[in-house]
Amino acid sequence: MSMLRRLFPVVVRSTSLLNPLKTNSQRAFATEVTEAPNETRPTFRKIDQVSVGQLKDFGRYCAECLPKYIQKVQVTAGDELELLIVPEGVLPVLQFLKDHHNCQFSNLVDIAGMDVPSRECRFEVIYNILSLRFNARIRVKTYTDELTPIESCNDIYKAANWYEREIWDMYGVFFSNHPDLRRILTDYGFEGHPFRKDFPLSGYVEVRYDDEKKRVVVEPLELAQEFRRFELSAPWEQFPNFRNANPAQEEVKTEKEKK
Amino acid sequence: MSGVTKVTTGLTGLAVSKNPHHTLGILYSKILRTLQKMPQDAAYRKHTEEIISERANVLKANQDVEVIEKQIGCGQIEEIIVQAENELILARKMLNWRPWEPLMKQPPAEQWTWPPAQKPKN
Repeated sequence: MSMLRRLFPVVVRSTSLLNPLKTNSQRAFATEVTEAPNETRPTFRKIDQVSVGQLKDFGRYCAECLPKYIQKVQVTAGDELELLIVPEGVLPVLQFLKDHHNCQFSNLVDIAGMDVPSRECRFEVIYNILSLRFNARIRVKTYTDELTPIESCNDIYKAANWYEREIWDMYGVFFSNHPDLRRILTDYGFEGHPFRKDFPLSGYVEVRYDDEKKRVVVEPLELAQEFRRFELSAPWEQFPNFRNANPAQEEVKTEKEKK
Repeated sequence: MSGVTKVTTGLTGLAVSKNPHHTLGILYSKILRTLQKMPQDAAYRKHTEEIISERANVLKANQDVEVIEKQIGCGQIEEIIVQAENELILARKMLNWRPWEPLMKQPPAEQWTWPPAQKPKN
């Protein structure tokens, strides 16, 4: 009945009702296990193809339950499930993952941000959550630009309070309905958001102790050297062994795409 | 364990339930009633109804709490009550959110590609 439970057999079920998902999933495992070769190199992390198949099933289940919000389901790094959602769907999706019987992702592990300036919506906000009941993790990603606020999930996960402040401080993503959205990591009076890609590595101001004024002064940055354009591309290939590496993510086909 | 009352759940903040059978029955009927208000073909409704009715059947068939815990297999009866409470809250919120509707909006082009696509040079 519960996909995650079959994935991580916390308990043995004595009653099993008929379940259309079960037959689907078993078929899916059968194909996927034969498709992916088992990793034999001893130094590589081995990925259990059966549990990946079950994760994919769980991704499909979420996409089926919340078709309004989930844009894409993918598996990255071999065995990590990601739900890519519309920005308006943060609260419903997180609430569903937290409170639904088959999910029970009760712990918010982290909220991360990401800045990709070439995109139309340049910021990504990434929620990592953990289900202690089913020993499973899932990642929820959404996007925004500089101006559009994202709904704060502080009401769902109390842990989100400081994480959202951190994202606000580092990237300048605004969270609406946050009870206390202040800077958290940068100094008093700091301006700007240091994790943005267009924030210079050296910053805008420098701080020093002034002996005449007997206090610390903040001055615009003066670099002794002129701006220099570093050539970062090397003439040789850095990682030839990874020329034919697997793609970073693998999309999970959901029901609505199949139709 | 007949005749011996349970003293503690062993979980911080989770008190032993006085009348778990009764509480759980009420919660399940409340959830099912909330789900009735959703459209028939909503996947969330279908899956949740399946879970809840299975658990409700187990509850109906047995009076002994330990047997119920074993058959549902999702922790102690107090934890099962908490799960049902959460599901009830979720189901009520889902009525407002209406997640069974089609996708709100497509992502902007190249939003989810990785490695990220470069900006067109113009």
